[in-house]
Amino acid sequence: MTALPAPVLLASTGVTGLVVLLLLSVGGAHLARRRRERRDAARRAELTPLIYTLLDGEQTAQSLVDAPAVLDDVVLHLLPQLRGHDRQVLRDLLISRGVVDRAAEQISARAPWRRGRAAMLLGATGSTRYTPDLVTLLEDRSPDVRSAAARALGRAGDVDAVPDLLAALTAVRPVPSGIVGMALLDVGTAALPALRAALGSGTAPARALSASLLGLHGDLPATAALTAALDDPGASTDVRRAAAGALGRIGAPQAGDALSRVAVLAVDPALRSAAAEALGRIGDPACVAALAAGMSASDLRVRTTCADALASITPEGRDRLRVLGALDGPAAPAARAALDAVSSEIPRSLTGAH
Amino acid sequence: MREFLLDALLTAGWVLTAHVALFHLVTLLLVLAGARRVWRNRHWRGAEGHDETFASPLTPAVSILVPAHDEEAGILDTLSAALGQKYPALEVVLVDDGSTDRTFALVAERYALRPVTPRPTADLPVDGEILSVHRASTGDPLLVIRKDSVGRRSDALNAALNHARHPLVCMVDADSLLETEALLQVSRPFVEDPDNVVAAGGVIRAANGALTDRGTMVEPRLSRRWVVRVQVIEYLRSFLLGRTGWADAQALLIISGAFGLFRRDVVLEVGGMDPNSLAEDAELVVTIQEHLRRQRRPHRVVFVPQTVCWTEVPESWQVLGRQRKRWSHGLGQLLWKHRRMIGNPRYGPIGVLALPFFLLFELLGPVIEVVGVAAVATSMVLGLVEPAVAGAVLVLAIALGVLLSATAIAVEELTYHRYGRGRDLLGLMGAAVVEHLWFRWVHSWYRLRGLAAALTRRSPVWTAMPRVGFSGDAAPAAGPVPAGGLVPVAS
Repeated sequence: MTALPAPVLLASTGVTGLVVLLLLSVGGAHLARRRRERRDAARRAELTPLIYTLLDGEQTAQSLVDAPAVLDDVVLHLLPQLRGHDRQVLRDLLISRGVVDRAAEQISARAPWRRGRAAMLLGATGSTRYTPDLVTLLEDRSPDVRSAAARALGRAGDVDAVPDLLAALTAVRPVPSGIVGMALLDVGTAALPALRAALGSGTAPARALSASLLGLHGDLPATAALTAALDDPGASTDVRRAAAGALGRIGAPQAGDALSRVAVLAVDPALRSAAAEALGRIGDPACVAALAAGMSASDLRVRTTCADALASITPEGRDRLRVLGALDGPAAPAARAALDAVSSEIPRSLTGAH
Repeated sequence: MREFLLDALLTAGWVLTAHVALFHLVTLLLVLAGARRVWRNRHWRGAEGHDETFASPLTPAVSILVPAHDEEAGILDTLSAALGQKYPALEVVLVDDGSTDRTFALVAERYALRPVTPRPTADLPVDGEILSVHRASTGDPLLVIRKDSVGRRSDALNAALNHARHPLVCMVDADSLLETEALLQVSRPFVEDPDNVVAAGGVIRAANGALTDRGTMVEPRLSRRWVVRVQVIEYLRSFLLGRTGWADAQALLIISGAFGLFRRDVVLEVGGMDPNSLAEDAELVVTIQEHLRRQRRPHRVVFVPQTVCWTEVPESWQVLGRQRKRWSHGLGQLLWKHRRMIGNPRYGPIGVLALPFFLLFELLGPVIEVVGVAAVATSMVLGLVEPAVAGAVLVLAIALGVLLSATAIAVEELTYHRYGRGRDLLGLMGAAVVEHLWFRWVHSWYRLRGLAAALTRRSPVWTAMPRVGFSGDAAPAAGPVPAGGLVPVAS
């Protein structure tokens, strides 16, 4: 411990110098940032009215071609909030300012952030011209870029990209199901035929996601396929649960028998709960017996869901709950609690479980 | 014998030097990993606006769980912030865990609570008796559970988990303020990757000294107290550098109990919160990862640095000491319980990176520091080490520590820059230096005591922190808002 001073002192001096430099840089960055923010705010305040005059038709896109770059940020910020003609006007503005061409050039850039930003910009323009490029990006090595490409395909709304989006769920470099789901919802009802096809013959993740999305769309023609998926003992639990949820959202009474069977006989408590919740949404009095049978389940969650479902079927379900609540046994507390919950007005969000 | 003692002293000195060098090397790697992400995100964050998450029907509903024991000073602000979240479907489950103050009375008055029949959806064991369950009749999605306290936050959280109804649960401390979009931001990974993400946490920042208005953070400001300022630096370093790096390495060990979002089914699957742990937040994260790794199920624990929860940090040395002792005790319990994971490649980066790091630097660090410093001091007295050498090593250790803190300030300024005032920035810079001059050593002493408590298997004791509240005085926030409507948090 006696041979250290010189190198240690040297290192200490170096590190101290680094600290001073860093702190001075932080101070400088702070001042520069505040100046930049003030300048950008002033420019935004100046440019935003020009965009509104453009939307009102008092100005042409050509007149804004040479406006400062901060205009692109303002437009990109506004774009998702607009629909129809206004959205198209802003998209045209981005095209005329060369934003789209520049983004298209960046799609094969080396830096992932350039590729990702390019995908985001192309999606914002809503053009299907670049769909093949975006589909290629679904297999990008960067997860963020793959996700950006999926979102962009959704925004572009190209129905031809739906199979590629579904295939991305199980690709070697997959895209998370939530991102694919949001992209497919962005495509809209045009995606429904492809989703129905995927429900019948896709991979398990594609089937589960398709079932959920068909339910969110309330797609009545998919009822038979969803019922078949629910009844398919060979299907994964995720697929069957998604099918049960979808049937509940569609509100298809013809699926009541299948849902009742699952609510009473299935092994997985989550699947039983999903089926019971769906029966509650459908509200068919013919299902009261199955739900009452479900209330003798050993799993508390199944009992509670069955009780909630019965409470939503009036008056038959609530009558059965009163009977069950008066008896002894595990069903009684759940029955009483469900009746109590509907006895007065319930806050909206408490009932809004997804 | 004398030679043995001399050798031991010199060895202790070298061990201290090596420990300091290794710690800073590892931390530097974490900083570089964090800096890489910050640099990458400078141009493009990899995700777009949160409006689509808000509007998406795929966004799962969230139950916000708030355990509270004697929290009259800030509970109404905390509830306002939780209920005011910009989120499509949520409920708040407040557990009044045996409060002896006006916590329940204030909530009952503000939200016109009415008793309801308990409607549990899970049956986790709860030791404290459930006294009653209430629901707001003001239209707010608020459920309040009154229970006997058994002196453990985990017991209150298990009671809340039993009554929560949504697929995601967000655990929030009763002295914390969530930013309006915090839930939307932290839930985003669950929306985007629902099959794999099991837990997500955000950044915790000190609210002391800030300007708040009925549960809303108006302007973050730095407290005038140095004991708070050094904690601000600590939090910045821990969250902006440490956790970002750990998350990138897929080795995130801790999601703060003050603000964490979990998949409820997974939490129930592992049996809820460990009733005996003093570090139940870290305990839950490690247990979940151990469980899922054993079952070879894919999972991700995510850190969302944009998300902020403001919390009240201790303003006195006594309270800070108790808190840090408890943390260290809890860490000791956690590492002992999961000792089979330490260094075990079966558990991936958690086993081979995070747990050994926490064992070596967080748990044993204070032992090495205190024993090492004592050994160096003794060596100086005995003439074994020249004061110049010891002084030089000390200066280097301090300079390296300050460099890390300065890096955290730089990351804060270059990315999130929550502190808009120049004077706050200067205060942070001052605290970065002050922290390593004396706070670090006092902190080591607290942690050492916590480790001793863990080693002697003392019964875990949850000590409540005296609250000042977000309204600046001991009076509850139910009263009228002072002139101007904006009130600084006492500091």
